[in-house]
Amino acid sequence: MVFTTAINCIRARGPDEFWRKRQIFRLAAHYLGRRRNCYSVTIKIVHRALVYATKGRHLRKEDMKSLHETRITAGCEQHNITFKDFKEGLARCDILLNRRSLADLAAWEPYSFKALTDIAKQRLDDDGLSRSK
Amino acid sequence: MAALKRVQQWATFARIWHVFDASWQNPFESAELLKKYLMGLHKPIYHPMNDCGDHVIVINSLDIALPGDEWKKRVYFHHTGYPGGATWTLAWDLHKKDPTLRRYTMERLHIFPDLNVPQSLMKNVSNQIRQIRPVPKRLDAYSEKEVKEFPKIIDLPKDYILR
Amino acid sequence: MSNRHLFLVPKFITTPSQNGVGRYVCQLQRVVLKFCKNNGGSRGMREFIEHDLINYTKDNPGTVVYLKPRRHRGPVICAEYLNGEKQSIFCNNFSCEEIAKWLNLLLTQSGNHEGTRLRKMWHTENPSVQGPWTPYTFRDPTLNLAKFPNVDLSTPLSCPKTATEHLLELFEKQKNEKFENEKLD
Repeated sequence: MVFTTAINCIRARGPDEFWRKRQIFRLAAHYLGRRRNCYSVTIKIVHRALVYATKGRHLRKEDMKSLHETRITAGCEQHNITFKDFKEGLARCDILLNRRSLADLAAWEPYSFKALTDIAKQRLDDDGLSRSK
Repeated sequence: MAALKRVQQWATFARIWHVFDASWQNPFESAELLKKYLMGLHKPIYHPMNDCGDHVIVINSLDIALPGDEWKKRVYFHHTGYPGGATWTLAWDLHKKDPTLRRYTMERLHIFPDLNVPQSLMKNVSNQIRQIRPVPKRLDAYSEKEVKEFPKIIDLPKDYILR
Repeated sequence: MSNRHLFLVPKFITTPSQNGVGRYVCQLQRVVLKFCKNNGGSRGMREFIEHDLINYTKDNPGTVVYLKPRRHRGPVICAEYLNGEKQSIFCNNFSCEEIAKWLNLLLTQSGNHEGTRLRKMWHTENPSVQGPWTPYTFRDPTLNLAKFPNVDLSTPLSCPKTATEHLLELFEKQKNEKFENEKLD
């Protein structure tokens, strides 16, 4: 059966209104006042929260990266090497540890981290690169 | 085991007291340096939500050196809140009034204008932060013989008036 | 969105009193299988009771199993753990195999974990072999005897040469050359 009338232009409203709204209300259950009780307010707030969540997923990664860098820099400074030189030295030695594991090593296994800085320093000296102080 | 872990926790989060000699140091550069110690950025356990900052005692804050003509040009603004209550104080004037000035409350920063630090604070100190730049030697610190033997580029004429 | 909207209690993985190290104590103490004798929703439960329940009880002598027939109600598995927690699973229209799987889960878990969120997927009692970092780990021992404030510790380690120093060096060099030339003459 083919409809040629305006019925094609009607957009389906989706599932039952109660359940559709309940889905949204569940996401807003921890809000206060009209934000959780009035649908017209809730939908606005929930949409905004979802947008924040999407952005937050990227921001969280950036935050963790900068935190790890801070920690590695702190660890490197004790052994008189900068973070940049440390990365360069490790890369030249094919030690491909990521920031997270390096930061964990700096805090939890300080002597392994010291060994890594020694390796990086030795490699930079062998390659004749001057280390920035 | 639990006792050992407790001691481990105390050791990791122990606060260290540092001392920093501010004589002839640029306060803006020293601030960057001291910030690291006050916030705990020099520790690999740093996290913005954990409280791992150290104490810093700054001595000789009377002898700081501002770059260029900052003493004359830098202005600190204050407004009392009443009409006409705005005041502008030049850096040299403010420094004369209070050489231990801090912009906001930084409870772990202790500033002293000279070497007289209370013994109760000084006994905590276990580390010294190195200065950023060397302290220059002033002319009055040289002996007369050293001044005489210092190589001169030109000999000034006798009637030349030195200001 | 924040984790707050989940309404889950954040927890870490734990084991009750080192269970599984040396000996294993089944944490599931009692299971009550509630079902209806007539309703179709309880069919899988009834099948399980007819065929597999005897084997299940024989395999797990540490767990007490009760059967509770009740008219015109849905089938429910009620589990009680050694730590006093209770968990009930509504299993309407579950097949025999599904119920066997749920019972296996209840048997192997250490307590009721519903309503909790794991903050980390792993847990260790000893996170560090060498001992975590402390401010004293790489401390220079000479600092222990130093008296503060100390001038030697205060001077910067490396700084570029000043123009005056350069000039002085040139002057010294010149003087030495002159001296040697005179010597040669």
